[in-house]
Amino acid sequence: MRNPSTRIGFLVGTMAAAALVACGGERIPPKQLVDARSEFQQAKTGIAMQLDPTDVHVADLALQQAEQAWGSDPEDPNTLDLAVIAQRKAQIAEAEAAYMKAQQDADQAKQQLEATMSSQLQATRGKLSATQQSLSQTQADLQRKQQEAAEQQKKLADLEAKLKDARDTIAKIAAVKDDDRGMVITLQGEVLFQVGKWELKAGAMAKLDQIAEALRGKEQPMVVLGFTDSTGTRDNNMALSQNRANAVREYLVQRGIPQDLITAQGKGPDSPISDNNSVEGRAANRRVEIVVQPKKS
Amino acid sequence: MRIAVVTLFLVGTVACGASLPPPNTEWAEANNDVGKAEAGGAPSVPDAKLHLQLAQEDLQKSKELINQDNRRASSLVAVARAEAQLALSLAKAQQKQAEARSAQEALQKTKGGQ
Repeated sequence: MRNPSTRIGFLVGTMAAAALVACGGERIPPKQLVDARSEFQQAKTGIAMQLDPTDVHVADLALQQAEQAWGSDPEDPNTLDLAVIAQRKAQIAEAEAAYMKAQQDADQAKQQLEATMSSQLQATRGKLSATQQSLSQTQADLQRKQQEAAEQQKKLADLEAKLKDARDTIAKIAAVKDDDRGMVITLQGEVLFQVGKWELKAGAMAKLDQIAEALRGKEQPMVVLGFTDSTGTRDNNMALSQNRANAVREYLVQRGIPQDLITAQGKGPDSPISDNNSVEGRAANRRVEIVVQPKKS
Repeated sequence: MRIAVVTLFLVGTVACGASLPPPNTEWAEANNDVGKAEAGGAPSVPDAKLHLQLAQEDLQKSKELINQDNRRASSLVAVARAEAQLALSLAKAQQKQAEARSAQEALQKTKGGQ
């Protein structure tokens, strides 16, 4: 590095050299030349020699020129300039090598960055593609389910319409009501059976034919419940109501109601719907109920 | 006798230096190198800035010596050129090193984001 102290160094160096020459001793090289030699050695043995040998060679030539000048005319101020120039040439070689090294590092980092980004882009594209595929699948599933739901809705509407038709048909021949058990069709005992008997009357069969026709194909579970009034013993009434329920069930099965969908149960005098102390009340209590339960989903 | 010899030597030296042609072309080239160093960013890089200032000082001194001591002026012009060239090389290296650091940071950041 050269600064104003260089000038002082020059004077001191020159005086020292002159003194040595005068004394006949060996001359001490000026600081500028010493620095130039040191800087050149650094360039020659460092990265500069690998990356920028041309500038190192230029520095070598400059140093040789400075050495030659010092050898031939150490007192010439231009000699020190040549030493300074030699040092600067060596520094230039080192700076240029540092530039080249930085260029290599930057290029390498940029290449790696490009490769990394390319890889990430590829991975992102892959994920996007998978997501799109999944989305397409989901959309297809959704469309299919919507279609299925629409079909189910249509079936349900058809079923409800049929049920309404059936209900309307049945309502013409029997009492129909809805409670928490489902649709309840109530037939009076006198309409179906003779007193104390469980064989179906001919007129009863005609009514049950219409009921079977209306309920056929609904695929809804049904329970036939037999009821009596409170006259007579409980055991007799339980047996009579069970036999009457069975008779109605068997007839409905014969008329096309699936036997696995229909059961029968005698309830005897339990669950009266009217007063057993009057003739009308007992007549109302003697009945058969066909409970059409909601379809299990 | 000694005084006469020294006087003769000095007169000869001055006469010889002055007899050289003025280094106008070299001075212009050195001045051009200083301009390149300035344009290359040397004023904003401390090491480069110092050598740029030295180059400017040498240029100024050499300008004053032209036509008085052309030999000395030529030598100072050569030093000024070397200083200016070094200033430019240092500035370029510094900028490229900053660019490399920036690229490496971007790489690490991108890798970190994976």
